[in-house]
Amino acid sequence: MNSIIGIAVKDIKTFFRERGTIFWTIAFPVLIMLLFTAIFGRDIPFSANIGVVDNDHSPLSASIITGLNNTNGIFTVKNFTDKIEALKELNASSVRAVITIPKNFTLNLTMTMPAHVMMAIDETNPDVARLVRDGVTTFLTEYYKGYYHTAYNATYLEPVFVTEEQAIVHEKIGYKENIVPGMLTYPLLFSSMVVATGAIVFEREKGTLKKIRASPTRPLNVLFGKTLAALFQTAISIFIMGVLAAVLLGPKLNWNVPLLLPIFFLGSINGIAIGLIISCVGRAPQEASNAATTMAIVLQFFTGMYFPIDYLPTYLQQIGRFIPMTYAAQALRDIMIRNATITDLLAPITTLSVTAVVLYAVGVLLYRRWVEK
Amino acid sequence: MIIEVEELTRHYGNVKALDGVSFGVEEGEVFGLLGPNGAGKTTLMEILCGLRRFDSGRVNVRGFDLVKDSYKVRGSIGFCPQETLLYDLLSVRENLAFSASLYSMSRKKFRDRVDFSSKVLGVGEFLNRRVGHLSGGMKRRANLAASIIHDPPIVILDEPTVGFDPTIKREFWELIKSLKDSGKTVLLSTHDMYEADEICDRVAIMEKGKIAALDKPRVLKETIGGEPAIHVRVKDTQTKKALAILKEYGGALFGDEIQISATKPLEIMTEVSNKLSSQGVLTEKIEVVEPTLEDVFIKLSGRKLTEETA
Repeated sequence: MNSIIGIAVKDIKTFFRERGTIFWTIAFPVLIMLLFTAIFGRDIPFSANIGVVDNDHSPLSASIITGLNNTNGIFTVKNFTDKIEALKELNASSVRAVITIPKNFTLNLTMTMPAHVMMAIDETNPDVARLVRDGVTTFLTEYYKGYYHTAYNATYLEPVFVTEEQAIVHEKIGYKENIVPGMLTYPLLFSSMVVATGAIVFEREKGTLKKIRASPTRPLNVLFGKTLAALFQTAISIFIMGVLAAVLLGPKLNWNVPLLLPIFFLGSINGIAIGLIISCVGRAPQEASNAATTMAIVLQFFTGMYFPIDYLPTYLQQIGRFIPMTYAAQALRDIMIRNATITDLLAPITTLSVTAVVLYAVGVLLYRRWVEK
Repeated sequence: MIIEVEELTRHYGNVKALDGVSFGVEEGEVFGLLGPNGAGKTTLMEILCGLRRFDSGRVNVRGFDLVKDSYKVRGSIGFCPQETLLYDLLSVRENLAFSASLYSMSRKKFRDRVDFSSKVLGVGEFLNRRVGHLSGGMKRRANLAASIIHDPPIVILDEPTVGFDPTIKREFWELIKSLKDSGKTVLLSTHDMYEADEICDRVAIMEKGKIAALDKPRVLKETIGGEPAIHVRVKDTQTKKALAILKEYGGALFGDEIQISATKPLEIMTEVSNKLSSQGVLTEKIEVVEPTLEDVFIKLSGRKLTEETA
């Protein structure tokens, strides 16, 4: 048997025989998913302040404002007479969007002329911006039809155009849909990194690394064997987490497996490489083990797993941009939420590939140096 | 020579763990490194196995230079360290399979070697049991089996019987002899002089990172250990009288025994016994004691083997 396969088979067999490890491998995603199901498994009440500048002063524009205020608490309208004031509040994030109903808006509608509503959106939080954009657009394009039908028995009206710079997202994205790709990033950080560190640390602690080193097995083969086993264990975690997410949360996501697999693979390799580096840098086995766990816990907040990294202060966002898992999380969201194609994923795949190669090379060098010491 | 070591030096900081060590091991012999803890035995063995670097010198194993052909050398050696390097959660067979994979062995050769380990090393009876459930003796046998699963021509054993009770120790000595009988060259380290005497064809006595003496145990004892001695013990009350009588033979008191060195002790033992009884001294014990490797070590270093190196 080849030494790489031999090492991987040995590690996988040991994994399956270690009841505690098996238990926690299954219990960990179960607990995390149960926790997140409890928190996010229901529709999150969403609300946002909307600024409205009414330059039309018509019964329809007044009705639109009233209608926005009566959206079961989704929107709370703040009226402005001065658009500059409204935009100042938008800049301060006091309102999430500013809608400007232009003069002659109603007249245009009834005279079969194009009717435009201007909308400026606070983009500091992409998820909130998306929800506001989606909600306001739907409201404006539908509400006035009902109003006219009731008031004037009108059967046809010219459409309302919401003019905005950004593209309009028509599909509503719930928090469940947002959190599941984030949760699937979890094993890339935790399982792969901690497992890889543990695999080397275990051999060091037990002394069995001496046996491997006394054989003609080259360091690279040892690391490849360990990597195979860690990939296998990470795959189990991802699978369990994915199944639980689908069953418990039932998100409306695009499970494009052929596109997801390379992201999972590259993300895992990055995690494993970081794990290898930590296992070689730590002087004592326990030190390396603790370092891997601590790093995984801290890094999860920078990778956009639970919330977009835009939530973080700018300087912390920069840290997130240096962590490969951030790109994995983003790519998973792009595939599962936005139906991204392979072309859309070229940038994250390239980034993950480059970081995987660089980090793995550093891991190999450090391991060789450590072995030679 | 299957192993040639020349002027090997290794420092740990300011401490010289190996100080110009040179020796050679003949093919098919059992070669012992005898010395107290801290003498440099383990460092030397780990260097031979490629686990440690050395500062200067040269090591040649089966014609391969240890530095240039490190992986070829490793493939020629089966290293069995003091500690049991097996995975508790795997069965003995699975541990053997893992060790075999490190040497990229074919399935057929693996099966043959498992048969060998079962018959010669006696691991057959617990081949499918998990290592964690085995006794200490079984683990050590399985450890040895895993170390030589690839059928290496050279077997290096670091303190193979340390911590064993006398019965298991003897069993292990038989295993080592059977390895020699199957054509292996065995290099072992020990601080047990009886072990070195019993199973080694040649012994290198190590002290403070140097080889103080190297030869067959019998030759070492004869040349360095000194002459055999007659050990006499009499009743406590008659010790002084006996000492006075035996002064003409060079008798000297060590503890509660009078010791007389003699080149041919058997020839004078009867004479000594008769002389004591004729003068009314009752002997409790009289025997000829041959010099041991412990005596050799004491002569060389001025201290006992069991004392740690400073």
